[in-house]
Amino acid sequence: MTDAAAHGAFDVALRRRAGLAVVAFVVAVALLAAIVVDARAKRAARALDQPVIDAVAHVLPTSDLALSGGARWLRAPSLEEPGAAFQDGPALPDPDPAGGIMAPPRAVWAAEVTRP
Amino acid sequence: MSTSSSTSGILAYAIGSLARRRAKAIALGGGLAFAVALVAAVLFLSDALRSESDRARAAIPDVVVQRLVGGRPAMMHAGDVDLLTGIPSVRGVRARVWGYLFLPSLQGNVTIVGVPKNATGTTETSRLSEVQGTLAQGRVLTAGAHEMVTGAGLAKYLGISVGDMQGLPSANPDAHPLTLVGTFSSKVDLYAVDVLLCDEDDARALLMMPPGDATDLAVTVTNPAEARVIAKTILARLPGTRVIERDLLGRVYALAYGRRAGLVLAASIPALLALLVLAWDRVSGLGEGERREIATLRAVGWSTSDVLAAKLYESLAIGVLATAAGIVMAYAWVFLLGAPGLRATLVGWSVLYPEAPLTPMVDATQILGIALGVLAPFVGLSIVPAWRAASTDPADVMRGG
Repeated sequence: MTDAAAHGAFDVALRRRAGLAVVAFVVAVALLAAIVVDARAKRAARALDQPVIDAVAHVLPTSDLALSGGARWLRAPSLEEPGAAFQDGPALPDPDPAGGIMAPPRAVWAAEVTRP
Repeated sequence: MSTSSSTSGILAYAIGSLARRRAKAIALGGGLAFAVALVAAVLFLSDALRSESDRARAAIPDVVVQRLVGGRPAMMHAGDVDLLTGIPSVRGVRARVWGYLFLPSLQGNVTIVGVPKNATGTTETSRLSEVQGTLAQGRVLTAGAHEMVTGAGLAKYLGISVGDMQGLPSANPDAHPLTLVGTFSSKVDLYAVDVLLCDEDDARALLMMPPGDATDLAVTVTNPAEARVIAKTILARLPGTRVIERDLLGRVYALAYGRRAGLVLAASIPALLALLVLAWDRVSGLGEGERREIATLRAVGWSTSDVLAAKLYESLAIGVLATAAGIVMAYAWVFLLGAPGLRATLVGWSVLYPEAPLTPMVDATQILGIALGVLAPFVGLSIVPAWRAASTDPADVMRGG
């Protein structure tokens, strides 16, 4: 193989590697974009359920999610938690512990009003 | 040097370098992807839960009033309604009858909600029948017919279908068995899976609540902006009560799910730190071979910036692909698979879980935030040692100095 041919083969290999990297990057970005598009579509579909949610929520005690139905007082934490005298049981893990590493969004605090 | 110094040449060299050390690259990228997946999944799940809570918030009363006796919730009385209806800006006060009933077969509570009769003697479920799609099966309640509408999950768990009659284990022997006439749509599963809606009289019987008493009072106001002032007036008229404003619920939800997410992330910190230490060790500890490689590149004419660019491309290639893979895994984990292994930690441990899928609140900003939060320190970790190696005299490195 001549020097020119060797250089040519080397350049092709380099271009192939660079192309591979660019393709991988494009695929990664495309996957992330697909997530954003899919999430937006699911949000739009969920927004169509809003009248149904409003109608049912109107007859419910709270808008709390039915996630802790077996956990005694915690079914409706927004109504019950402020005055809960005890947790689920002695030495049980607190499902809603006081304190956390992740603070709520600042906008929530900004909108906070002092409880009368 | 004309080819090597070009961007594509440097990029090709970086990819080739990764290919030569593919085991290290895969281990590092895999660890990074799993760490990103864990953090992103927690954020995705807590955001989805918070948004679902907020979705129904607009439909609930502006103010809820509860009585406290000895620090514990107690019954409101019929006379309390009259004390509040006279407050200016109060549009209506509704005494609500609801509570919990423990079902031994379920080993958990269901939420019994009593629907009051209106002036015509029918139950106040007109909105349920007006809006298409509130019920998956059957119809709304008929007053006085001892009927119930339940969440689909509850009906399934009890093994009953529309038309079946079910006696509930109330301590009150006069509580009438109820006929299932409808189940809520799966669209509201997250709010109503454990709910049993029935006539107010049946709810009183099941919950052993005397006539005239109520669980709480739901107050609607003409101007929601005045809810805080009205809350103060309510407290003045009904001392010893707890007044909960709807606007505060947003804060409650943010705190509840933010804290749960924080707890999970805090528990994950040791694993994340271990990964960071591993990454630091792997990336910063350039081996003898790598240092010789950098020295050779410098000796054949590569500038320090060329070497740094090559190392930057290596880090970016691993970091970008691993971050993207982590975010994709998190999304699939939470929204396609239902977050197995994570859902119970963040959601709670109810025996009657809603099966409805969560709605993702993921957007480009959140993804960009996660990506930058991971990539910036990762790339920084790899550039510094490469710069040190590139700054050393190649001859010294060749001689083993």
